[in-house]
Amino acid sequence: MGTERNLSRRKNILYCAISVLIICILLFPLYWILVTSLKTEKEIFQIPPTFWPKELNLKSYMTQLERGDFNMFRSFRNSIVISVGAMIISIVLAVPASYGVAKFSFKGKKAIILGFLITQMLPVSVLLTPLFIMYNKMHLYNTVWSTIFADATIGIPFSVLVLKNFFASIPDELEEAAYIDGYNRFTTFTKVLIPIAKPGIVVCGVFSFLYAWGDLAYGMTFIIDQQKRPITAGIFNFLGQYGTKWSYLTAFAVVTIIPVALIFIFMQKYIIEGMTSGAVKG
Amino acid sequence: MKRLLTFVIIITMITTLALGCSSEKGEQTADTPKVEDEKSETSQETDDSTTEEDTSGPDGASGNVVIHYYWETEGHQIALNTLIERFNDSQSDITVEAKYIPFADFKKQLSIGASADELPDFVIIDNPDHAAYAAMGIFADITDKFDISTYYEGPVNSCTLDGKLYGVPFGNNCLLLFYNEEMLEAANVEVPTTWDELLDVAKACTRDTVSGFAYSSLQNEEGTFNFLPWVWSAGATAYEINSEGGIKALAMTKELVDSGAMTKEVINWTQGDVMNQFISGNLAMMINGTWQVPTMRSEAPDLKWNVAPPPMDKQQATGLGGENYAVIAGGNEDAAIEFLKFATSKEQSLHMMEAMGYISPDSTVAENQFAGDPIYEAFVDGMNYAYARGPHPEWPSISDAISLAFNEVMTGASTPEDAAVKAQTTIDGILGK
Amino acid sequence: MNRIKKFFKYDNVGMLFVLPGFIYMMVFVGFPIIYNFILSIQDVTVQTLRSDVKEFVGFNNYIQLFRQDNVLTLSIWNTLKFTVMSILFQFITGFALALFFNKNFFFAKPVRGLLMMPWMIPVTITALMFKFMFGTDVGIINYLICSIGLISENIDWLTNTATAMPTVIFANIWIGIPFNMILLATGLTTIPQELYESASIDGANKFHTFKEITLPLLKPTIDSVLILGFIYTFKVYDLVYVMTSGGPVNSTQVLSTYSYKLSFDMFRYSQGAAVANILFIILLLVSLLYLRYVYVEEEV
Repeated sequence: MGTERNLSRRKNILYCAISVLIICILLFPLYWILVTSLKTEKEIFQIPPTFWPKELNLKSYMTQLERGDFNMFRSFRNSIVISVGAMIISIVLAVPASYGVAKFSFKGKKAIILGFLITQMLPVSVLLTPLFIMYNKMHLYNTVWSTIFADATIGIPFSVLVLKNFFASIPDELEEAAYIDGYNRFTTFTKVLIPIAKPGIVVCGVFSFLYAWGDLAYGMTFIIDQQKRPITAGIFNFLGQYGTKWSYLTAFAVVTIIPVALIFIFMQKYIIEGMTSGAVKG
Repeated sequence: MKRLLTFVIIITMITTLALGCSSEKGEQTADTPKVEDEKSETSQETDDSTTEEDTSGPDGASGNVVIHYYWETEGHQIALNTLIERFNDSQSDITVEAKYIPFADFKKQLSIGASADELPDFVIIDNPDHAAYAAMGIFADITDKFDISTYYEGPVNSCTLDGKLYGVPFGNNCLLLFYNEEMLEAANVEVPTTWDELLDVAKACTRDTVSGFAYSSLQNEEGTFNFLPWVWSAGATAYEINSEGGIKALAMTKELVDSGAMTKEVINWTQGDVMNQFISGNLAMMINGTWQVPTMRSEAPDLKWNVAPPPMDKQQATGLGGENYAVIAGGNEDAAIEFLKFATSKEQSLHMMEAMGYISPDSTVAENQFAGDPIYEAFVDGMNYAYARGPHPEWPSISDAISLAFNEVMTGASTPEDAAVKAQTTIDGILGK
Repeated sequence: MNRIKKFFKYDNVGMLFVLPGFIYMMVFVGFPIIYNFILSIQDVTVQTLRSDVKEFVGFNNYIQLFRQDNVLTLSIWNTLKFTVMSILFQFITGFALALFFNKNFFFAKPVRGLLMMPWMIPVTITALMFKFMFGTDVGIINYLICSIGLISENIDWLTNTATAMPTVIFANIWIGIPFNMILLATGLTTIPQELYESASIDGANKFHTFKEITLPLLKPTIDSVLILGFIYTFKVYDLVYVMTSGGPVNSTQVLSTYSYKLSFDMFRYSQGAAVANILFIILLLVSLLYLRYVYVEEEV
């Protein structure tokens, strides 16, 4: 909800104009990706650059669906499975954890917060070998689970740190009132606090999903069958030893962004509402 | 709701505990005492493969062979899959399957696999890295198990370490000078053959939007591959950067950049990027390799271009590239060797070479491979003065020192002399001098 | 009242909420941390990777890394520069945008949603795109600022040791803005509207409201955004690797790219692990400071 409930008509229009300007600047690289994908490989390198393709080239889109072992739909499904899986694990584990950290004062709480942070402190490249060894012994190597579990390790600490602020901002009186109404700590948590923290939970879900969606290193290292790999693996069809095929690569980016964008538009009502409906009334 | 939650929590805890146990086992692996553990596991794996072999008859090779390779081009993948299908159809005991790992991830994946004892049975790898993997002990010694008497010497050397053969060359390529015929004509100049001529011609062809000359100068193996021909041409070896020839080569790159004959952007261009610039008409000349020919012919059919030997200083020289086949030690070795023999037969080898635009390392196949195609014949001729990188187990580190040197010179961060001294110190340290 | 106190007394129940997530993290990341530490005090290279006994060399790898050349010191310095500059600009821009889109105008919600779009593209592609846009001769950036007359000659953004780092930082700021904006915007929603209303009745000006209400109430969110942002930025790998691979002449070499290069390009596994550990230790120190100063005040 806005700082100022209602804006005057003039301010409203002014702000809309500014926001359009912001969009133009911030999303210019995305526009450039789109335009590049519609150019021929030759026009891409033309000097001076063209802002709209002189000759519309859709060839790069035609080849996206299937290339060798890579199948767009299958990879997309794999990515959805991995991202949703990682998101569910993150939320199921992080929501109670953040509540515990925010609303209880037990011994070693600081150490636990530090512990969550510590898990994020190694670069991904050095996690690969030990995780690979682990997965190999657990027979998870070359399954989607390997990547789901690894991707969730990014979402959990993130969600714990973000959500603990939400739970902390909920007044204790609410819990007390719930208790008087006959709830215990678990039901207070599930029935009273979770609905209030919904905006935070939605944001954490979205971020956990997107972290897993953008992952390339885990999916490539722990899954060896092209048929099981996530959609990001398709990048390598156009980016390799022999140089970058720009029109194909950018077309690939556009194609991969569409399904996620659709999910967002389709669920926008829930996501935007979730993100902006501050339910806490002091 | 409460019950559901408790249930979820309990399940999660049990799972995490269970996972915790197996991780402890894993932890031991990192320590010394688990050496036995590792050994027993390796032997177990070998047992597995032997039992597999036993089931399918007494005359040896059978079972599955998993290949890892890195060609991302669809045509190359199809060619390999065709080869594999042909092999699988030719007999019934062995099933070969290829798995694609991107080039950028290949070294990492093999290293990780080696640490975790989870390797394929057969790999197709970039030849300068061969010695390093062989030193790692992941390749089977196939000295006497494969006949390489008709192969060219350079490619075979790249598969050899300490006198033992750890692989077989797959196919080769080399670098030549590509030039845009129309641009050279328009500038009224001849194809350069010496370094001085190169500078002149490049400058003569430079226009507003056209650079005279370029070759990939990335600070990695690719850049080293393109830089070393200058060193060899000036009469030094890859291990002698701080020598007259080495410094001369570094000074030449500086001259190319400073004079404007070559754009400085090449330190961020892959060989593919250089090729793209060339076919877009932004370059008059470039150094590039055999494998670009099919792409250039299909992407820019109207462009008039030709190839010539790289301009030289003291002697004619170019870089030898290509891939090698290698059998993984402890994998399904016998079956992998069967496949190797099939893949290197004349008919199959020709099939692969044609699809890849490579030159066969087997002289009996390479002869007449490109009869009537002057461009490819120029490349076959280039094989005569093509030098291989390494082989040395620490080649990646040596290559790193070399590529740092020419990057320092090109960006003006240091003089050719200083860069040469620095690179030499690193190289000498690695060679144990 | 007593019963209510009792209700809140069993604080150790809180452990039950925290433990599943905590154990999960310890399992999946704890082992790698230990593995990496052990690897860094062994001598594992090409020749010894597969041998049964790996020699323990104490802190030799660390000492050698500092001695052999200045790349490690340079990487530490570069990483700090990269992180501090990125966070500073991402945070300020993100905060400004969060405040702006918190206003109740017609486009506010859809535009805020659109600004999440950069996050849906894999970083590898974003990085390639920026590399392409900042190209010297065919890049759109040079063309744009040249045509409005800011420069007369093309700038060699990514191939000049002086401009490469700022260019990579610029790309990283672009990626980080939505992250900062969304988290801060969500944090803003937890601030009760009534506080602003009563403040405006009291006649407080905007700056005052911001300083006295927004900042203090948003502080926990700001703290989380900063520490998470710091950690994520400090170990950024893909972006730098794709845009410059640490070059030219190590001018953008950061700890994560250096560690990767040592481990997987040069096969010096132990040295690579040691560099990663240095990164780890620096982050640990920063986090300890953060916990010390932030949580002392915040103690619930």
